[in-house]
Amino acid sequence: MNPNVQDPEWKKGSAELLVLSLLEDQPRHGYDISKLIQMRSGGALRFHVTSLYPLLHRLEKEGLIDGRWVEKADQRRRRYYHLTAPGRKVLRSKQQGWRDFVTAISRITGIEHA
Amino acid sequence: MPDWKTYVRERMAPWRLKPEEESGLAEEVAQHLEDCFRELRSGGAGEEEAYRRTMEELDNLYPLRAGLERNQLLPRYDAVRAGETSPGTLLEGIWKDFGYAFRSMRKSPAFVLVVVAVLALGIGANTTVFTLINTLLLNPLPVRNTAELAAVAAEDARNTRQSEAVFPISYADLKDYREQNQVFRTLAGFTSVRGLTLQEHGVAQGIFGEFVTANYFSALGLEPARGRFFSPDEDTVAAAHPVAVLNYAAWKTRFGGVEDIVGRPLQVNNVMLTVVGVAPPHFIGVNAVFGPDLWLPATMAERMVPNSMQNLLTDRAKTAFLGVGRIKPGITRGQAAANLRAIAGTLARQYPATNDNHGATVRPLDDVLLSSSGGTGASAVYASAALLIVAAIVLLIACSNVANLLLARAAARQQEMAVRLAIGASRPRLIRQLLTESVLLGLMSGVAGLLLASTGIQFLFGQLPGWANFPTPKLDATVLIFALGMSLATGLLFGTVPAWKASRANVAEGLKEAGRTAGRSRRRVTMTNALVVGQVAFSFLLLVTAALFLKSMGRAYAIDPGFQTAHLAVFPTSPGQAGYDKTRTKGFYQDVRNRVSRLPGVQSVSWASGMPLWARTVTGLQLEGWQPRSRAEQIRTVIETVDLDYFETAGVALETGRVFRSADRESSLPVALVNGKLARDNWPNGALGKRIQLPGEKMERQVVGVVRTANYTSWGEPPQACVYVPLEQNYTDAMVLYVRSQGNPETIIAPVGHELHAAGPQILVFGTRTGSGIVDGGLFQAKVAVGLLTTFGLLALGLASIGLYGVLAYSVQQRRREVGLRMALGATRAGVLRLVLREGMSLVITGMVIGLVSALAVGRLLSRLLFGVTASDPLSVGAAALVLSAVALAACYLPARWATRVDPLTSLRDA
Repeated sequence: MNPNVQDPEWKKGSAELLVLSLLEDQPRHGYDISKLIQMRSGGALRFHVTSLYPLLHRLEKEGLIDGRWVEKADQRRRRYYHLTAPGRKVLRSKQQGWRDFVTAISRITGIEHA
Repeated sequence: MPDWKTYVRERMAPWRLKPEEESGLAEEVAQHLEDCFRELRSGGAGEEEAYRRTMEELDNLYPLRAGLERNQLLPRYDAVRAGETSPGTLLEGIWKDFGYAFRSMRKSPAFVLVVVAVLALGIGANTTVFTLINTLLLNPLPVRNTAELAAVAAEDARNTRQSEAVFPISYADLKDYREQNQVFRTLAGFTSVRGLTLQEHGVAQGIFGEFVTANYFSALGLEPARGRFFSPDEDTVAAAHPVAVLNYAAWKTRFGGVEDIVGRPLQVNNVMLTVVGVAPPHFIGVNAVFGPDLWLPATMAERMVPNSMQNLLTDRAKTAFLGVGRIKPGITRGQAAANLRAIAGTLARQYPATNDNHGATVRPLDDVLLSSSGGTGASAVYASAALLIVAAIVLLIACSNVANLLLARAAARQQEMAVRLAIGASRPRLIRQLLTESVLLGLMSGVAGLLLASTGIQFLFGQLPGWANFPTPKLDATVLIFALGMSLATGLLFGTVPAWKASRANVAEGLKEAGRTAGRSRRRVTMTNALVVGQVAFSFLLLVTAALFLKSMGRAYAIDPGFQTAHLAVFPTSPGQAGYDKTRTKGFYQDVRNRVSRLPGVQSVSWASGMPLWARTVTGLQLEGWQPRSRAEQIRTVIETVDLDYFETAGVALETGRVFRSADRESSLPVALVNGKLARDNWPNGALGKRIQLPGEKMERQVVGVVRTANYTSWGEPPQACVYVPLEQNYTDAMVLYVRSQGNPETIIAPVGHELHAAGPQILVFGTRTGSGIVDGGLFQAKVAVGLLTTFGLLALGLASIGLYGVLAYSVQQRRREVGLRMALGATRAGVLRLVLREGMSLVITGMVIGLVSALAVGRLLSRLLFGVTASDPLSVGAAALVLSAVALAACYLPARWATRVDPLTSLRDA
């Protein structure tokens, strides 16, 4: 784990943004989402099954994503999630909010955005 | 490939998700785990390692459970407790809660004992009061369909505003109402309870009787326990049927409950009666408090009590009966009253001399049930409500005591609560469990309270004279339901807040702490202190009220009743009831005077027709030169027949004129004395020489003297008119012997009784009392009020002191570290003592201030019941404050002393 990404509060606050972002391009299932987060963060971020699925269900309940069972030949059926229209709006808002937040922090701490 | 779905389902089983939710989630998670496992295997991990690393995903299920909880996917009912296989139904759950509560209580027997003892006092007090109300007011008649029953009484046709007093009607009027009305299914009549003389084996005993119409028992819907009731033909011809029906308890106690009671002869008032039946158990007539030993047909009244009941059956001016009957279905009391009023109007036109402006009214039975004991329905309800409120205050104090105890106990059980929350119990579930414990405590206290109440009631009723005339206390299903309801309500009342607070235990904190030093949360301390302040306030309110009534009673004792009581003894007799005729009776009176006046210690002797404070008033007095324009203007007056030397014996002062003398005989000028009230109201220029005519007399009497106004019907009454006539000019066959003693009147009771018996062995002497006994009787109600208020006040104070002590003791225990620190830093023992005392007494003073404000408000409401005492009487308030402060200080002192004994080293080390 990257020693710089230690604060669990950061992870908690950005979880929704991560999930919604990953569903922006295409529908995905839960394992897919968790692997992508791990890979794209270089192993710094990891969501266990016990925290990922409650989050997915909550987002689904709030109407930001929609889950559907898909059965493919020779495969167990999987639940794929895709972004809904309200979800897209929330994603935009969160992305903007995150950019503003990072800018503000950078200004105070003198950390430059890579 | 491992069966991931089964693993996941097993781990989620305790959460009892809905099948469709569980299935979907299990499938998703299982698929995730399978993907993870495959990836690990394809990355080169062995099966065992891949399995182990995959299963690490399920290590900490708490976030999943918390997430499901947030998403409201968890069911309402709790998870299965460890060791159980299924949660069962709600009832099963509650039954298990009771079992758990019982086991929990077994571990703290001292705590349970204290709680049950404290609550039992409160519940017992309330149940006692309710039993009294149940016995006297709620269905006191053991008859069916009491809702149909109503009473018939007289009223002034010109003033139909219902007065509290109940006025009787004449036998002849009652008969007309019965025959002409269209609203009653049955209508019967009865007189008030009368004292009679039972002569048995040559000994005269007092016995109480009521004269009733033949249909009395059938109208009430009663069946005899033995024999029969009166038949219709026994109520037609005067004095033709000397029969009697016994009170069930009188049969059991006075006549030994013998089997052959029916047919037994009884000599009462010198008339040989035959017992024809026994009334059913618990029936004491249409009376809530005091009933007769036997019932007699109304047609026997004139023969048995000839002097006062002459022409009772025919004279419409002789009003002695009240009616009771069953109203026809569909007819209201108002409609029934209207019908009777119409009949009364007809009678008034037919008999203007006696029935002018006589009306009739139909009243609730409660008004009549208490009238024989001088009360009314309204006053009884008022007194009952006041008693219940006071008892409820005591229970509230007990509840707040227990709530404090439970709050303290909840703090000590934080760890237990935290563990239960951590393994899956929900807050509603915890609250239900804790409330079950409180309800169980409440029920146990209810049982103990019921036992206390039963003992208390038996004790109270045991103080009554052992006659059969009082109602038997009714500890029936109604009282049981009341006690049960009270127990449940008590449990919920004191248990709700502590249960709610305990269920909010912080899981992390509770699991960390050993549980011993549970800590004092600021909010809990505030609530605890508020409860104690409330208890002190209530106690002070009761104590101040009791002190006000006590002082008022002291003032009442100091009232001058207009006659002397310090050296007075009275002996009621009734020669007429022993069969004495006029000559023999007059001889008896003279003989007794001679005998008693010779006794040592006797200063003077006389006779009078009435007992002090027991007089009745009559209307119809006519004054010279004045005619009332209507019945409403008639003068209501007391009439007393008195012998020579009465005024000297009774200590009634003469204002002007003269008292009666031996020249005032039957053949001489009819004379009378009047009291100051009558004289000044009607003859401002002087009453001497004026003429008056008494109701029922044809001649006029001349006023020869005016005496001081006294109290005649009740202690401290407003002035009312009184006329005295000499015994020689108004023969009565029942008189009261008045004796003025030189010293203590108790010393002459026995010698005078002996002389009375010697002069007339068959004559009953019943109800002897001294002057102080008369005063006590006059102040009976006030004494009862003071006794009850003081008892409840001290009880409340005792409970509040226990509460105060408990709170302070707990506070000292919790603050041991702080106290140790203070002492280590140089605080003296005296300083620590002051610290703790200050904490306790500040609560007491706050409570007293609140209690004082409430007491002033309550005192204002009760001011009309107080004699010469204001609601803010400083002496009463000061006395109550002193008592409360002393007791509170004692309650605070012990814990304060413990605090000074804290060893700083030990307390700091233990911290």
